[in-house]
Amino acid sequence: MEHLSDEIIMQKVAEGNLDLLKVLFDKHHEHIYNFLYKMSGDQMLSEDLTQDVFYKLIKYRSSYKNGSFVSWLFTIARNNLNTHFTRKHKNHDDIDVLEYKQIANDESKHEDYSQLQNALNRLNVKDRELIILNRFQEIKYEELAEITNSTPGAVKTRVSRALKKLKDIYLENI
Amino acid sequence: MEKNHVTHLLPDYLDNVLNEKDKELVKQHVSSCIQCKLELDELKILFKAMEDEPVAVPSDRLSAQFEAALDKEKLETSKVVALPVVKQKSNWASNMLKVAASVALLIASFQMGRVLQVQKSDNDMATLLDESLKIKQTAMLSLMENQSASKRIQGVSYIEEFPNPDEAIVNALANRLLNDENDNVRLNAFEALATFATSPTVKQAFIKALEIEKNPSIQIAIIQSLVKIQAKKAAVPMKKLLEQEDTQPFVKNEIELALPKII
Repeated sequence: MEHLSDEIIMQKVAEGNLDLLKVLFDKHHEHIYNFLYKMSGDQMLSEDLTQDVFYKLIKYRSSYKNGSFVSWLFTIARNNLNTHFTRKHKNHDDIDVLEYKQIANDESKHEDYSQLQNALNRLNVKDRELIILNRFQEIKYEELAEITNSTPGAVKTRVSRALKKLKDIYLENI
Repeated sequence: MEKNHVTHLLPDYLDNVLNEKDKELVKQHVSSCIQCKLELDELKILFKAMEDEPVAVPSDRLSAQFEAALDKEKLETSKVVALPVVKQKSNWASNMLKVAASVALLIASFQMGRVLQVQKSDNDMATLLDESLKIKQTAMLSLMENQSASKRIQGVSYIEEFPNPDEAIVNALANRLLNDENDNVRLNAFEALATFATSPTVKQAFIKALEIEKNPSIQIAIIQSLVKIQAKKAAVPMKKLLEQEDTQPFVKNEIELALPKII
């Protein structure tokens, strides 16, 4: 099954071949976990959310509609993260709530975090998200545009700017 | 020179995904622009750090829990899949059966209701008739005991209401025929009884009445009735009447005509 594309495998899953979900899980769960971990800086939370992403994959398998599988998967992951933080901070109703948490983390200079992670934490959520997805999870601009409801060109520009910001933050702390 | 900065191309340049033309452009620009060269070097450091960034590995708990959830889903799915298949197979037939059953039930209950209704009303009617007959009988019997002759006649004439009068009525009528002091009442009682002349009780009452009756018109009526039913036992009282002196001659005449017919 390794030679089949994720989309074809997911199509088969949607048609009822549940065993193939294991293939998709093995292939992608570390990426999802790393994305969530880089975004939240919380291992337990990231595991729980990753778990939830794949539960949703099981549950909503029949709603998969031929799009890029990776985009779909990361969209679920992203929504999970948003839902988690909006639930936790009911007063804030935007993804920006993440920033507060991360800034707080940053101020305490979490020792477990690498220099790079600390630099990442100081970016705003949208920039951080783009860089993690693009640079760490190797999501292409087209898919990134799909996930963030944007166009590939705009995404490319935003990634490039975010990289510059990150670079500056990272270098000034070295 | 500023306008030609290639900052936006640098990430792709480092990723080596630029086309030849852009790649050459970056190379040339960087060799002459210190700013962009610096930018490129810094970006290189950042990219290196990113590469070196350790990949976080989730615990085994994650995949164990996923597999458990997947197994559970498979179990539930197989159940869910099995059910609709069974359903679809029997859907049409079972629906038709349901419809048929409800129609049958409707008809059955309708018929049952009708039969029960008819039975009940039959019963009711029977009871009512029975009751009204009983009332009439009581009325008849009590009227016949009345002092007024006309009331007694009225009571006697109630016999028309009874297609099959019971013993009590017949006895009461016979009693009137034999014992009533009023001729008209006796005549009426006779006429009433004449309808049931074939009954042995009535026959006996006629014969007895013939012995004691004094009214000639009633005598003749009784004689004629007895002849009609061929009551042989009536011969004796008839002969007796013939011998009696106070018997009217036309009655005797009647008896003489009647006797040969019954013997």
